[in-house]
Amino acid sequence: MKKNGVNMIKISAKNVDVFYGKKQALFNINLEIEENQVTALIGPSGCGKSTFLRCLNRMNDVIDICKVQGEIVINDFNINDKGCDVVRLREKIGMVFQKPNPFPKTLYENISYGPTIHGMAQSKQEMDEIVETSLKKAALWEEVKDRLHEPGTGLSGGQQQRLCIARAISVQPEVILMDEPCSALDPIATAQIEELIDELKKEHTIIIVTHSMAQAARVSQNTGFFHLGELIEHGSTDKIFKNPENNKTQDYITGRFG
Amino acid sequence: MNKNKEKLLAKRYSSEKRFQFLGKSAIFMALLFLAIFIFKIFSTGYTAFQKTWLIVPVNFDAETMYLDANPSKEDLEDADYFEISLQSMFNLDKNANEKQQNELKKMVSYFFEREIKQELINDPSLLGKTKDVYITASDDLDQVFKGNYPRDLPENQRRVTDYQLKIFDQLVEQGKVESKFNLSFFTYPDSREAELAGIASSFMGSIFSILVCLAIAFPVAVLAAIYLEEFAPKNRFTDFIEVNINNLAAVPSIVFGLLGLGILLAVFQLPRSTPLVGGITLSLMTLPTIIIACRASLKAVPPSIREAALAMGASRMQTTMHHTVPLSMPGTLSGTIIGLAQALGETAPLILIGMVAFVNTIPGSPMDPAASLPVQIYIWAESAERGFVEKVSACIMVLLGFLIVMNLFAQIIRHKFEKKWS
Repeated sequence: MKKNGVNMIKISAKNVDVFYGKKQALFNINLEIEENQVTALIGPSGCGKSTFLRCLNRMNDVIDICKVQGEIVINDFNINDKGCDVVRLREKIGMVFQKPNPFPKTLYENISYGPTIHGMAQSKQEMDEIVETSLKKAALWEEVKDRLHEPGTGLSGGQQQRLCIARAISVQPEVILMDEPCSALDPIATAQIEELIDELKKEHTIIIVTHSMAQAARVSQNTGFFHLGELIEHGSTDKIFKNPENNKTQDYITGRFG
Repeated sequence: MNKNKEKLLAKRYSSEKRFQFLGKSAIFMALLFLAIFIFKIFSTGYTAFQKTWLIVPVNFDAETMYLDANPSKEDLEDADYFEISLQSMFNLDKNANEKQQNELKKMVSYFFEREIKQELINDPSLLGKTKDVYITASDDLDQVFKGNYPRDLPENQRRVTDYQLKIFDQLVEQGKVESKFNLSFFTYPDSREAELAGIASSFMGSIFSILVCLAIAFPVAVLAAIYLEEFAPKNRFTDFIEVNINNLAAVPSIVFGLLGLGILLAVFQLPRSTPLVGGITLSLMTLPTIIIACRASLKAVPPSIREAALAMGASRMQTTMHHTVPLSMPGTLSGTIIGLAQALGETAPLILIGMVAFVNTIPGSPMDPAASLPVQIYIWAESAERGFVEKVSACIMVLLGFLIVMNLFAQIIRHKFEKKWS
């Protein structure tokens, strides 16, 4: 959605610090994420890009020793507020993980799980429709429509990851977080997922963590570069890759380190 | 240099060979002991599944039984069978003197009167006729027939007299002694007479104890394990609890027996010698086993499944109940069955709470007095009669069979229902 030719801001992080016990993992991150765009987070291993991603749907709550400070505002609401309900938040912000992690249940149950717990379908027919549209959006429908009641773990790696994407979009989230979604996949499956990401951005805001700079360049409109827990530079992907302001960014994208 | 290297290599190979040899001999030893044990049990026990019967002609004389020609069912129940029973035994040797008649009577179990009665009740038309009836032989003659009795001992050291042996040998010659499958071993309760002793009361006692144990230990242990693993914060207090659960698993079982005696019987005044108290006592023992198995299988559920559910907006409770717990169930269940199998073989605590009492009724509920299979083995092993020796082994076989079935079941659950994740 554009207003006066400028993209709307969907998420804005202000002064975000993250601690694992005594160790600080993220330092004062300030980042704005535009709606209906793909934002890539790049950086060497251990730079904190995944940690930042997991702050956005409060998945870090699972880790006992992890503490998040600062403000993350989504739809004018600070999700780090005490009043924030994580169940509601995660309904709005879906996530796709590094390794495909379908539930060891049937394909149908994998997709229908989210809509079931959030009470989104009133009838079996509605649920069938949700399952079908989700699988179609994830470009998996044609491959699996005849075996919806077989276990999801029987699919190939790329299909499993698309199943996880279908599962994430089944509850119509506004934002989809992707944590290196292609790192366990072969180039063909990767290409399919990248195509899918391009399609999904029409309806969802996407944030993707990736190790592959080529992938970031291919799929994203905006890029943020993390290094040692700091956000070194962020801006349009074009600018970051062609004309970075910071030397470290320059060094990283040209492959001098990382 | 090169030679040194070769030497070193040869040394490495020979050490591996040595280790393999030691490992193989250890396995061989273990199997050998097992084989000896099983052979011993089977070779002494298999005869207990056969029972010796004397075929004795019985004259169902109405007059002797004080019955009229057309007795009702009640009349048949109330009739006097003692006289005809006694008479049919005496008829085996018409010339027997009083002492010998007494010996004749002792050739069969004291149950013989009831066996004869049952014969007539099953077929009232026998009244007034003579029919060959199968009568349980005394345990000593049973052993004689099975070849387990030392006939060459001097008579004063035997419980079987020369006269009894003579009559018995005559009966064998006439084909009037038969060995048949010993159904009463499974359907009769315990008895002081070896030929009538069965495992029905202790088997039912074991079943009831195990059910009580399962009903208490399983829900408590699973809830404790789920809370500790999925919800409890990880701090010093929960560490302390975890250590103590492991300690509980290592407490000798007799201590639980004392606990049952001191608390359940003395304070709560629960009925003595009952599977209810036995089951509660055993559940204390089984509890830590199930908690440990359940926690281990909860831990084995990949965190990615929890993350997937949480990221879909499932609450912690939903994540646990919809995903983690169902996935951990095969492991939990097989752990539970193994815990129950341990409880099934437990003797010491049951002796302390009085399940060692002589029970000659078959319990119909956990509130009735009962023994249990291992305790039954203990009771019979203490008995002097030769007839109990094979019963002990047979009871061990039944117990082992029970345990094998349970462990097999645990294995099947584990293999069949364990989900594979990529």
